[in-house]
Amino acid sequence: MSSATRRWWSNTVDIEETTIPGAHEDLVTDSMLPGKGHDYKNLGDRIAELILRQRVHPYAWLVTFGIGFMLLNVMLMSITYLLYKGIGVFGVNVPAGWGLDIINFVWWIGIGHAGTLISAILLLLKQKWRNSINRFAEAMTLFAVACAGLYPLLHTGRPWNAYWLLPLGPNILGLWPQFRSPLLWDVFAVSTYATVSALFWYIGLIPDLAMLRDKTTSKPLRVLFAMGALGWRGASRHWARYETAYMVLAGISAPLVLSVHTIVSFDFAVGIVPGWHTTIFPPYFVAGAVYAGFAMVLTVGIPVRAWYKLKDMITMTHIDWMAKIMLTTGLVVFYGYILEVFYGWYSGDKYEWAMILNRFFGPYKWTYYALLTCNGIIPQLLWSPKVRRSIPAIFLISQTVSIGMWLERFVIIPVSLHRDYLPSSWGYYTPSFWDWSMFIGTMGFFTVLMFGFMRVLPIINMFEMKELLFGNKHKHGQEAADRDPTHSHVVSMPDTAAHSDDHSH
Amino acid sequence: MDMHQRPVDARTFRAKLEGKSGKQYWRSLEELADTPEFREYLLDEIPQHTRSFDILSMDRRRFLTLAGASLALAGLSGCRWLPAKKVVPAAELSEDRTVSIPNIYATSVIEHGLATGVLVTSNEGRPTRIEGNPEHPASLGSNSSTVQATLLDLYDPERSQNVSEVNQGAYTISTWSNFLDTMRAALTATKDGTGFRILTETVTSPTLTHQIKTLLAKYPAAKWVQYEPLSRDNVLNGAKAAFGQPVNTLYDFSKADTILSLDADFLLSMPGHIRYSRDFATKRRVRSADISPEDPKKLTMSRLYMVESCPSITGTMADHRLPMRASQVEAFARAVAAALGVDAGAAAPAAVPKDWFEALIGDLKASSGTSIVVAGEHQPPAVHVLCHAINAALGNVGKTVNYTDAVESQPVDQLAALKQLAEEMKTNDAVKILLILGGNPVYTAPVDLDFARRVQTTRLTAHLSMQEDETSAACKWHLPAAHTLESWGDARAFDGTTSIIQPLIAPLYEGAHSDLELLVALTEPMPNSYDVVYNYWKEQKPAPDFEKWWQETLHDGVIKNSAFPTKTFTLSADAAKTATPAIPGAGQGLELLLLPDPTIRDGRFNNNGWMQELPKPLTKLTWDNAALMSQATAEKLGLAPAVGGLTVADNKLVELEIGGHKLRVPVLCLPGHPDDSVTVHLGYGRTHVGKIGAGTGFNAYLLRTTAAPCFAGGMKVTNTGETYPLVHTRSHHSMEGREILMEDTLEAFLKKPDFAKTEATTTPEIKEGDDKQTQVLENGEKRLSLYDAQDHEYKSDGNAFTYSWGLSIDNNVCIGCNACVTACQNENNIPIVGKDQVDRGREMHWIRIDRYYRGPISNPHTFFEPVTCMHCENAPCEPVCPVAATVHSKEGLNQMVYNRCVGTRYCSNNCPYKVRRFNFYKYTAGQPDPDKLRGNNDSPVLQLLSNPEVTVRGRGVMEKCSYCVQRIDLARITAKKEGRAIKDGEVVTACAQSCPTQAIVFGDVADKTTLVSKLKALPTDYLLLGELNTRPRTSYLARLRNPNPAIKEDAESDVERDTPVVE
Repeated sequence: MSSATRRWWSNTVDIEETTIPGAHEDLVTDSMLPGKGHDYKNLGDRIAELILRQRVHPYAWLVTFGIGFMLLNVMLMSITYLLYKGIGVFGVNVPAGWGLDIINFVWWIGIGHAGTLISAILLLLKQKWRNSINRFAEAMTLFAVACAGLYPLLHTGRPWNAYWLLPLGPNILGLWPQFRSPLLWDVFAVSTYATVSALFWYIGLIPDLAMLRDKTTSKPLRVLFAMGALGWRGASRHWARYETAYMVLAGISAPLVLSVHTIVSFDFAVGIVPGWHTTIFPPYFVAGAVYAGFAMVLTVGIPVRAWYKLKDMITMTHIDWMAKIMLTTGLVVFYGYILEVFYGWYSGDKYEWAMILNRFFGPYKWTYYALLTCNGIIPQLLWSPKVRRSIPAIFLISQTVSIGMWLERFVIIPVSLHRDYLPSSWGYYTPSFWDWSMFIGTMGFFTVLMFGFMRVLPIINMFEMKELLFGNKHKHGQEAADRDPTHSHVVSMPDTAAHSDDHSH
Repeated sequence: MDMHQRPVDARTFRAKLEGKSGKQYWRSLEELADTPEFREYLLDEIPQHTRSFDILSMDRRRFLTLAGASLALAGLSGCRWLPAKKVVPAAELSEDRTVSIPNIYATSVIEHGLATGVLVTSNEGRPTRIEGNPEHPASLGSNSSTVQATLLDLYDPERSQNVSEVNQGAYTISTWSNFLDTMRAALTATKDGTGFRILTETVTSPTLTHQIKTLLAKYPAAKWVQYEPLSRDNVLNGAKAAFGQPVNTLYDFSKADTILSLDADFLLSMPGHIRYSRDFATKRRVRSADISPEDPKKLTMSRLYMVESCPSITGTMADHRLPMRASQVEAFARAVAAALGVDAGAAAPAAVPKDWFEALIGDLKASSGTSIVVAGEHQPPAVHVLCHAINAALGNVGKTVNYTDAVESQPVDQLAALKQLAEEMKTNDAVKILLILGGNPVYTAPVDLDFARRVQTTRLTAHLSMQEDETSAACKWHLPAAHTLESWGDARAFDGTTSIIQPLIAPLYEGAHSDLELLVALTEPMPNSYDVVYNYWKEQKPAPDFEKWWQETLHDGVIKNSAFPTKTFTLSADAAKTATPAIPGAGQGLELLLLPDPTIRDGRFNNNGWMQELPKPLTKLTWDNAALMSQATAEKLGLAPAVGGLTVADNKLVELEIGGHKLRVPVLCLPGHPDDSVTVHLGYGRTHVGKIGAGTGFNAYLLRTTAAPCFAGGMKVTNTGETYPLVHTRSHHSMEGREILMEDTLEAFLKKPDFAKTEATTTPEIKEGDDKQTQVLENGEKRLSLYDAQDHEYKSDGNAFTYSWGLSIDNNVCIGCNACVTACQNENNIPIVGKDQVDRGREMHWIRIDRYYRGPISNPHTFFEPVTCMHCENAPCEPVCPVAATVHSKEGLNQMVYNRCVGTRYCSNNCPYKVRRFNFYKYTAGQPDPDKLRGNNDSPVLQLLSNPEVTVRGRGVMEKCSYCVQRIDLARITAKKEGRAIKDGEVVTACAQSCPTQAIVFGDVADKTTLVSKLKALPTDYLLLGELNTRPRTSYLARLRNPNPAIKEDAESDVERDTPVVE
């Protein structure tokens, strides 16, 4: 490309010496980007290709997206019918005032947790291996939160008044909301989480958008990417600010990983219902969320890496490590189950103990046994490295965990509600057709968003992969750094922002 | 132009026509047109006035004059000319009568011919609430659910509105004059009334009797037949056998120490049951005044022994209850009689535990003169005779058992009369004209009479009823009846007390007339029911001050001192030996028992949504009936449902066959039902009924024969292999060992009066170091709270008077009759939701009667506990609502702000009592099934029913008991105007007002002098789930039983106490 065609949004050719914090962390190993022949150019090209050369998308994409789209329409129909008829179309009743609506809300929110955990906490802990999975994990967070967010709104009896939960204050509504209610905390927690996640995701996208802008040959696309890139030129000042902003946002997000699900768990822990009123909920919910989140990352990641031949970017090591996190959080969750039973007995409270017995022997006992099987027993297979490195096994276990985590919310919500204090009020909860159609519909919504995202934005962080490659290439540099301390701090940064491969030189 | 030349107008014309009768009556317009007036009338739209006006030649002024006048007069066509008579004095007259302040009138509601005195609230002319009339002996200010439900019948959108000619069930709209013309012609043709039959329900009305007798005097060959399915034939025949004449028996349960009920449900079904409930409760209630530590023996309770063929609410109150097949009761009664020295013939050995029987006889003997033996109406006459003999032997007559003349105007064996009528109708032309006033005999007549076909083949048949029902469809004419609240009348109560029935509203539909009006119109022009009743009573009381008497009587709702005097009748010596003619198939195989339904009775409330959705007291079944049987019988027949706790059990559909008659009906196991017997409630499975009743239940009349109208043996049960979903409001029977309903024996109570106060039923004690969440009350008492101590200030700001509202519910006298449930539904505009929604656990009743069983499934103890919003001081619902839609008032009310509610349902989840109800759909508009539920309150007619003081709730909003806050505010306004505090007893919640046993008491709990405070100070007072420290404002008084210590089966062990009874 000649200098005559260069536009204002194009990169400068200046390459500045940049300090990359943590670029030489020893956790970045060959196994994170295995194989030979990677260079900065083809790494970027391979990821950018998914957006710039739409034909590379396999037939599987179309099928998946098509199914998702159909289900999205199922969701839209369900919502329309719900708004038209009333919340009665769901199976909820008295005593079980919440059913699939809140189960699915908590389930989706939980799924979102892996994204934030991967992007924020692992970033802060300088876990470089996150680089290949963080982008779509973050996207997954956003989309899961979008699905989750539908439920608290739509499950109310009068959704058109749901904005009364916002603290619009006496000037607009004449009344504050009721600050003692965990549902209100939910509003704050989930909206903050959604906002911060979106920001974090977008900030991380900026260098990649700039790269796409530079790679695309289509003028309208270039304009669009340029707008998204906010004038990114890859200048060292940009990088410095980017790193700072990213770290600050990571710092803000990290406590959110803990707070969101903690607060969601308060919806139950603050209640007086046996099976809800327990102090173990916050940590147990957070662990469960991470558990479910990683299961979903694997569920989506495994087919995608196969279809798009990204096995060298999302490697077996990634899968192995994610499986290990699943195993760990799964054990925390299982510990929670054991302690719930223990507390039920140890408290000496007849209602608590009746709740435990009801889980074991009540009409919904199958859900509890299924939960223990899915979340407690089957994931123990992950102790075996062989299983952790078997794609079909991991894929199945991830789905088992997803189902298990859904069952966990089922056991907590309707199973606790349907038999509480007065046997006269005991009832039964059966989800209705519309409960299921809405749930399956949100899966379609999620799929459409996720697979739509794959075609318009890079699913793998291009510049961070290059960072990984840089790390790999300078493996020996690491050894050199040991000899020469200055080497590790000031390194030459080759085209991390993908500016020079195809245009600038 | 002479405007006054021929002063003929439509009104004079109509008056002329009205005067004519019989064959002279006009048949067609052409015929009428022959008269010169009419010809003229037809020519001119405004007769006489416009003829000479030619609009083209008219001047401007005249045109405008006419145009203006036409416009003004056009408005008049909407008016109705009703004679302006001031005949309705208010029971509570106020000088400053203001719009929106309701008036209350005294009148009566008739059930099975008997009057229950009521006070009806009228809002701008709309009757909106039926309460009991404290002046009336059958009511004493209380109420039953069926009496209240008659109000919904008034506004039934499917009420018939027109006179119709019916041809094979097809209705053609006609007019009263068409009908009367036909009827009068036919009557005149018979000359002396040969072949003319009038069929009514039970009549006690003096005026109606007088009218019928007048008509019969004119047509001496005509006959009057009374029939209703829930007749008192057995009682009457028993009385005739015992005393040689129809005698009315009155019981005084307020004086009875020992009661033996032989299958008599005197708390729900017998005439006077509201009064009897009140009397019964006075001997069961425990008040502080009765408890004397020095002499605990001073405290007494009556003891009720009950043998019954189907569990009833009376049976739940029994201290000793024996399930017994209906056919065995006679033998048992004979054994009792023999043991008490009555010569009762051969006493068949009754299968009764020896200690049980001996204890019963001992108690009866010990309380001679203060005991009652009472027999159920479905028991054969012999049992009633035995009761009379036993009561006489025990010296109860004149003390607890009193006799008067029969209350019915013409006490007859109704079934025999109907049978005879059917026979006559069978014979060709013996019956030519059949006039059916009320009732639904085609549906309710025994199946072997083939009554529908008899009616269809009769030449001229007419049916006066509020609904187009089975009988209407079989008749040639259907006539719309006026509701009790729409017409004048009179009736006697169970003790003979007469009351005048005054209407609250003109008939909603112009075509509706009462039976009184119709009877007069057969021979005279259509009268006004007021004139008929007024003139009758004027004749009866020819006194100069009749007007004053009339006004006073209307005001009071009863004719003073009109109760029948107690008389002495001689018991015929051998009466007790008389045996009943054998019941078909008695003692063989399975027994079938047919009883009135606890809510829809004989089927008359079949199209009444309140009654359909009202859970039956024991089964908690709604919208259906079932074949009730014991678990053991069901197991024997292989019909027992799988043990489980699901809300909806698909019940097995069986075919019952008896005497060649068959009925398919689902099975429901009822704990405490006698073995080898099946009970099916009457009143369901109607074919010609409105949308509410359509498709509900199974028609037990198809099994009812003249030979065995109540019970019979030798029934076959075949499993069809199909199932049918029965829907009940609760499925779980057991208390799960939780201390939810506190009950014990009187003996235990005397040893430990505060037995009900346990850790579970009281507010937790404060412990060391628990100070953070401690509330220190004004009296220095400390209480631990699950929630942070909230300083609800129970003080009103700026007002001189402060109140703390609370409720006390006495489980000891709650008989589970459901009167409060219907009262609440009526008062608070609570919609019905339909079977499908009840199935989903979405019924809307703000008060529910929890029913618990304890003991063996074959004969458990049954307890009732009404549960409403507890108005907790630490209400778990309040902190969880994100929009502050449920908040605490300064008077301690847990308030629900409908406008603010967004419907998260979190409050309901967090309510340990689960008393909150959610509008999952717009139930008030009849959703989700507007076709079936007739638009509920949204229907223009049903909107008239709404209590204007209570918001009609929309979709997506939570609701619950408000302690009738509208009534509190009404009292507050009154008190404020008078500058005083609200007096104790001035605020009565709807549930408390209707309760026959006064088990519910409302008032200021901060004022220690109020009745509610005194009740709460009783040792038996306890809190529901008190251990949660929700500090409910509603508390309960423990249930006490008074078993005879000599009976071993009731000295239960603790193990048995906790044995859950599983469905």
